[in-house]
Amino acid sequence: MAAIENTSAAKPAATRPNWLVRDLVGLAVILAVAAIGYFLFPNNLALLTRILGVALLVLSIDLVTGFCGVATLGHAALFGAGAYASGIAAVHFGITDPLLMVVVGAIGGALAGIVSGAVILRGHGLAQLVLSIAVVHLFHEAANKASAYTGGSDGLSGISPDPIFGMFAFDLWGRTAYGFAVALVAIAFVVLRLITRSPFGMLCRGIKEDPIRIRAMGASVQGTLLKMYVISGAVAGVGGALNAISTQVVGLDSLSFTLSAEALVMLVLGGTGSLYGALIGTVSFMWFEDFVSAANPFHWLTIVGALLIAVVLFAPRGLYGSAQTLLDRFRGDGK
Amino acid sequence: MKKSVLAALAVLALSSAAFADTIKVGVVGPFSGPFAIQGKNFKAGIDAYMALNGSKVGDNDIEIVYRDLPAADPAQSKALAQELVVKEGVQYLAGFYFTPDAMAVTPLLEQANVPLVVMNAATSAIVTKSPLVVRTSFTTWQTSAPMAKVAKERGVKKVITVVSDYGPGIDSENAFKTTFTAEGGEVVDSVRMPLSTNDFSPIMQRVKDSGADAVFAFLPSGPTTLGFVKAYNENGLAKAGVQFLAPGDLTQESDLPALGQAAEGLLTTFHYAVSHDSAENKKFVEAAHKAIGNPAELSFPSVGAYDGMHVIYKMIEATGGKQDAQKAVDAVKGLAWESPRGPVSIDPETRHMTQNIYLREVAKAADGTYYNKEIATFEKQGDPGLAAAK
Repeated sequence: MAAIENTSAAKPAATRPNWLVRDLVGLAVILAVAAIGYFLFPNNLALLTRILGVALLVLSIDLVTGFCGVATLGHAALFGAGAYASGIAAVHFGITDPLLMVVVGAIGGALAGIVSGAVILRGHGLAQLVLSIAVVHLFHEAANKASAYTGGSDGLSGISPDPIFGMFAFDLWGRTAYGFAVALVAIAFVVLRLITRSPFGMLCRGIKEDPIRIRAMGASVQGTLLKMYVISGAVAGVGGALNAISTQVVGLDSLSFTLSAEALVMLVLGGTGSLYGALIGTVSFMWFEDFVSAANPFHWLTIVGALLIAVVLFAPRGLYGSAQTLLDRFRGDGK
Repeated sequence: MKKSVLAALAVLALSSAAFADTIKVGVVGPFSGPFAIQGKNFKAGIDAYMALNGSKVGDNDIEIVYRDLPAADPAQSKALAQELVVKEGVQYLAGFYFTPDAMAVTPLLEQANVPLVVMNAATSAIVTKSPLVVRTSFTTWQTSAPMAKVAKERGVKKVITVVSDYGPGIDSENAFKTTFTAEGGEVVDSVRMPLSTNDFSPIMQRVKDSGADAVFAFLPSGPTTLGFVKAYNENGLAKAGVQFLAPGDLTQESDLPALGQAAEGLLTTFHYAVSHDSAENKKFVEAAHKAIGNPAELSFPSVGAYDGMHVIYKMIEATGGKQDAQKAVDAVKGLAWESPRGPVSIDPETRHMTQNIYLREVAKAADGTYYNKEIATFEKQGDPGLAAAK
């Protein structure tokens, strides 16, 4: 990825349309894969929808970890905040329009992003990691305590979203939910693509490479990172809202350390620092997990563990990163 | 090549014709991870039932499809249930160890035309979420409330409640408090501990300082309970005569070997003890021991699963194998039978189990192992939790 950015920065005029074409192709590929998924696995749409929900979380981790270099094991806090925000809006305030619920979720996630960003960005390295774990535990405990609103460990149930645009009801086969999820992920992908390409996105990358230099340039490191954290929170919040809408229940697990860690694993599996990597990581991890857990419900975790070790040992840059390295090497030989 | 493909197709066609009457039951439970032992108990209960009653109802073969859900995760639970219904074509959903997982499935049932038989999840409200839910386990209210009567009978006047700060813990606290206050007792203090508490000495100090005659406790079964009971003994509460009262989750049979002597004399109320003395239970325990492999691992979720299978068999009988969820559920309303835990029936209104709750004391058997010895019976207990929620 970095290599591409460097060359394009050198000759911006020639490569700009190239970017556009690349992004459009990327979007087309995502939509095509989504359509193939729909037709190949018409009976598995619930799983596919869940994958897309988690994909939004993984994308949002990628924004702060892959693009800004912030280490976090507490990102589920933002995801859960979005899920609970839209769930509470539906159950306690009668906001059952799915689009509005997504907006509420995004706002909830963004607010959680401000709060947790303000805390987490104080530290660096290990301290940062520890802070992020503390944050997700605090969110978890807060949701557990506020059981009047969140249902505590019983989960927040009774969310019944209206049909989208009053036309498409959420059905048993999950067709509506899946279409809705694909639309959300596609929109998020386009928006994030624009953001990561923007000067702001470049600044974030710069901070990841060398924060001292960026500070010397006169840019605010903390401010930029916090902004990215808020954007990331909004994306995770949309994922949470999507989860709340399609599942109609929000549980404490959506705020858990386990989910944070698992999402980070998916990101590492796919490859950090690229939106495609995040998507590929999520899809391959969750699909594999579903496959082996159905094949052997009693010992499947062992197999998942073995896969992760294999990936980290043999493809340390993740599936997408390693594929790209291979491709670049191949191209280099061709020239 | 062509021939073999044709042959394969023929086999497929034949087999699908032969299995046309296979009725699938989807069971979701924790079969891996820290709660795997509870999932194992589900499976043992189901296997025991099918070993004793055959794997056929009428002409219909029964096939169980298991799906693993290691921890409470409603999103995953719903996805699994959806997959079981849409892809596997199950006619019945069963299992569910944790409340949020069962809750997540309830909105699906009507459209899927599938009844849900809850084999464990113990929060009262689940049955109200859909008219197609039947529960064959217990509720925390149901097992906790009788303890208040025991306390009163034994002359306990002041009680301190100590519970883990999560759904079932709070249910348990409310159930005890409500009943005990109604009986004229006094709850002097209520402590809610975070789920991850490991050091219980400060809490035991609070129990001492409160001047209570007894402590009513609820913790999730497993290692935390072990620590709690140890702290209760080491801090001299047992010697000081402060009684230990709890619902039976704390002394489930699979934890007793680890609790050992520390648990001796603890009083609990619950719906089932493996030691229950009846012909039905002997038959069940024998079959379940065979199914689970290690007899020491057998505990209460197995009996919920066993009775759940009984209900499902009755449902299949009533519908003749045709998929009709409402008819199936209507058929078991008011159903009464002799379960390994004693006489039980399905309350036609709440679709929850009416059953005996037993007072038990942890005692040492002749062979040196510990077991829950039933010493008193509260007959035909409904679920007080639903009434309280209204």
